[in-house]
Amino acid sequence: MSIKIAVIQFPGANCDLDTIHVLKDVMHIDVDLIWHNYFKESKYDGVILPGGFSFGDYLRGGIIAAHSPAIDEAKIMLKDGRPVIGICNGCQILAEAQFIPGAFLHNESLKFICKWVNLKVENNNTAFSNKMNLGDVLALPIAHAEGRYFVDSIKELEENNQIVFKYSDEEGELTKDANPNGSLGSIAGICNLEQNCVGLMPHPERASEKILSPMGTEHGKLFFNSMLEFIKRKVS
Amino acid sequence: MTRVTLNGEDAEIEMTEEEFEKVKELLEREPSITELGAFDVMWSEHCSYKSSRPKLKIFEDAEANYDYVLAGPGQDAGVIDIGDGYALAFRIESHNHPSAIEPYHGAATGIGGIIRDILCMGVRPIALLDPLRFGKLKNNPHSQWLFKYVVKGIADYGNCTGIPTIGGEVEFDESFESNCLVNVACIGLGTIEDFKHAPSRAYNPGDYVVLMGGSTGRDGIHGVTFASRTLTEMSEADRPAVQIGDPFTKKLIIEATLEAVKTGFVRGLKDLGGGGLTCATSELTGDGNTGGNIDLRKVFTREPGMTSYEIMLSESQERMAFVVKPEGLETVLGIFRKYEMAFAVIGRTDDSKVLKVFDGESLVVNLPAKALSESPTFKRQEKKPLYLEELLTQKTPKLSLEIDEIIYKLIASENICSKEWVYRQYDHEVGVRSIVKCGEGDSGVLRIIGTDKFIAASVGVNSKHCFLDPYEGVKGGLVEECGNVIANGAKPMAMVNCCNFGNPEIAESFWYFSKAVDGMNDFCRTMKIPIVGGNVSFYNEDEVKKTAIKATPMIMVVGLIEGEENIITLPFKKAGDNLFLIGETKAELGGSEYHSVIYGLKGGIPPKIDDIKIKATWNFIFELYENGLIIANHDVNKGGFVISIAEMCFKNNLGAELDLTDCFDKTLRDDEVLFSETYGRFIIEAHPNSVNKILEIANKHRVDIKNIGTLISKPEINVRGLNYGELKLEVSKLKDKFDSTIPDLMEI
Repeated sequence: MSIKIAVIQFPGANCDLDTIHVLKDVMHIDVDLIWHNYFKESKYDGVILPGGFSFGDYLRGGIIAAHSPAIDEAKIMLKDGRPVIGICNGCQILAEAQFIPGAFLHNESLKFICKWVNLKVENNNTAFSNKMNLGDVLALPIAHAEGRYFVDSIKELEENNQIVFKYSDEEGELTKDANPNGSLGSIAGICNLEQNCVGLMPHPERASEKILSPMGTEHGKLFFNSMLEFIKRKVS
Repeated sequence: MTRVTLNGEDAEIEMTEEEFEKVKELLEREPSITELGAFDVMWSEHCSYKSSRPKLKIFEDAEANYDYVLAGPGQDAGVIDIGDGYALAFRIESHNHPSAIEPYHGAATGIGGIIRDILCMGVRPIALLDPLRFGKLKNNPHSQWLFKYVVKGIADYGNCTGIPTIGGEVEFDESFESNCLVNVACIGLGTIEDFKHAPSRAYNPGDYVVLMGGSTGRDGIHGVTFASRTLTEMSEADRPAVQIGDPFTKKLIIEATLEAVKTGFVRGLKDLGGGGLTCATSELTGDGNTGGNIDLRKVFTREPGMTSYEIMLSESQERMAFVVKPEGLETVLGIFRKYEMAFAVIGRTDDSKVLKVFDGESLVVNLPAKALSESPTFKRQEKKPLYLEELLTQKTPKLSLEIDEIIYKLIASENICSKEWVYRQYDHEVGVRSIVKCGEGDSGVLRIIGTDKFIAASVGVNSKHCFLDPYEGVKGGLVEECGNVIANGAKPMAMVNCCNFGNPEIAESFWYFSKAVDGMNDFCRTMKIPIVGGNVSFYNEDEVKKTAIKATPMIMVVGLIEGEENIITLPFKKAGDNLFLIGETKAELGGSEYHSVIYGLKGGIPPKIDDIKIKATWNFIFELYENGLIIANHDVNKGGFVISIAEMCFKNNLGAELDLTDCFDKTLRDDEVLFSETYGRFIIEAHPNSVNKILEIANKHRVDIKNIGTLISKPEINVRGLNYGELKLEVSKLKDKFDSTIPDLMEI
């Protein structure tokens, strides 16, 4: 079967071309970049909402894009179990569109933070983590001003196994220092109940080539390979 | 400012009476009020370079003998051919005055402006670098405010547009207290074809002129004339002359412009920056040797009732002018519609060589297209400041502190300490090109995706050295910035500069400018580095205190690395490896951080540049690279070579065992050995088996080289061979001092 992925280009997205580069040039996946107003879901097996500043993050990160017609299309995919992935600003859009629970507040430092962090895998069944092992520690960069996760009931998330990634140190310990933005429960990535929709604040597309990683890692590929695997499993 | 009335309309102009007479002589009549406004803006120092142009003539042809230079000075940006069909554009300019008044929007719109300059070369902006100057931070809320909001302005604008900020430089010095410097540099990448598609000229009669982007408002009128005088107590009242940036619109402009250029229908491209529509239309037609008709009623304005004078002079942000082939007009407009960008076809070019601007039916501007660019020039007087005589004779006091204490103080000083607080706020990775990232090397290294090529870029200069000797100081800046790209494995390809000086009408201030230009010219010609662009910012003075800033001829150098394996990084890699200090260390403590931090001294003899030795050192390093003999490299900069060694220890938590016995001239004092800021030196790490080969190659190039020690796994730096006795430094303590200074000052 041939798998086709869509990357949505919201006005102000700026990791769209980076995501396309990784999917197309690094991983040789069939992928289209589509302007948000033109997106129709029927052709695609999965969709990625890339990072950036959709609509300038005016009002607050992701809120305006959450009302784009592209989100109505994505909702159809969400409902029938196809993978819907949001990275950074895309993750904020997913939260604003209520595809995933919770919200993203200003970082504790009130400043934009760009740095490499460690992520611990908490759930390896989702559309964006099934190629990982539980407890794996992965190196990825973050680059955001509004990344502090908040949710009313973290207990509910835990019970439903919706926490996918947490910020940790290199050994996988969830220390205060390892939590770059003050996220509740060190949460860096979450999914919906059905686990086909995952929102993630760090950038796997910036961590999919050894040359870009200060540690010489390419952990970002695991995320996109998980997406492919999820689609294959669904079909078979 | 003078108030003038012409035909019943009022305006305030900056122009002198002689200039007004020259306008009348040129037109053989009285100008209309809108024409007068156009002349006033275009003949301002900022747009016309009327003080600097006569001096800058010495750069003529400074880029002509390099076959890889595609565009040089006078264009919106310098462009070089980096092979494989790619063109690299880069430029640096100042946004000092707006930032000193309104740091957040001043810095943000500075970024916006430099992005447009690169964009109008038809290429994608891929990196930003920002060298900054502020007053000292300690106990200085004003400097802290400027610093905090300039950095935030750069971060918010750059991050949102998706252009990584990959480098910069910050110095803190009391001379910048009320007149901070915000210089902004941008690098663009495209195919050579993209670049050739869309010159910033309108060469063809009959093309449409399309204005695209933000609407035209009353903001920023006379921004450039405000930038062409000194800041005063009244300057707070100029805050409305600072524009407000909109990075979201800018991001859409970037994408829409690049998509339009790709169609091949765009035959000319110009950004609307200083001087607004006046500057864009007159330069497009004037430089293109055509003419044109523009109708101001077509321009979409932010508010009703704007006069033609206001529309022509508005400096509202986020606007671009396109010159479009008639048959491609609908295609190009379709692209603008997709991005939901406002646009208007405001006129057409013709072959009249006259720029005619209509306000509905009435003709408000009717000028020879070239007239606005023919400003008069001034021959400015220059005179070496008298105070330098005394400053240059200042002696280094007798060593009064323990040396380890001095080093801990130096590494914690504002000008040497880590700038992580700054670059963490910049998205320096977007674009997936950043290979050597902020804080990991002397320069920022970007890959050119689809090739095995990399570019390295570095920006800066030492203002303290330039204050004492602008000629040697600017050469030092060139050695330093070239050294930074060389340390990462690159060969310097070209440079651009941004000259920040005081009031050119004051002979002492103009002397600094003149000497710095001489230094740049001499060094670049000797070293065969093309000068592909420049910007001049005068009037950086504090009129209340009657002081000029320290002369700051900012230098940006871009270099090329062929092959991933040839990228060299700063951190020490392995215990047991040998350390070399390359380049001679001289008694050059004038203007050093040691003088300033430990003794509060500004003077002394600053470092001098020996071009021949510098050239030999660079060739030596290149040969070591060719033989794969360098494991880590870092150039020696502020604070001297022990500071460099400490910085190299940090990442992998290594230490060094140094023996300086017989390494230096016996007449040098310990502090001269350790803290001298002699230019053109490097610290390299090499495998023990390479030692003989390295010394042999050094001998061939007649380069001064010292095998000063070895790396150890224990994180401490031990130094023997000083008159002082043995010296021991803890790497963790050095790192702690290095890291904590700015957060401690800024996070209150």
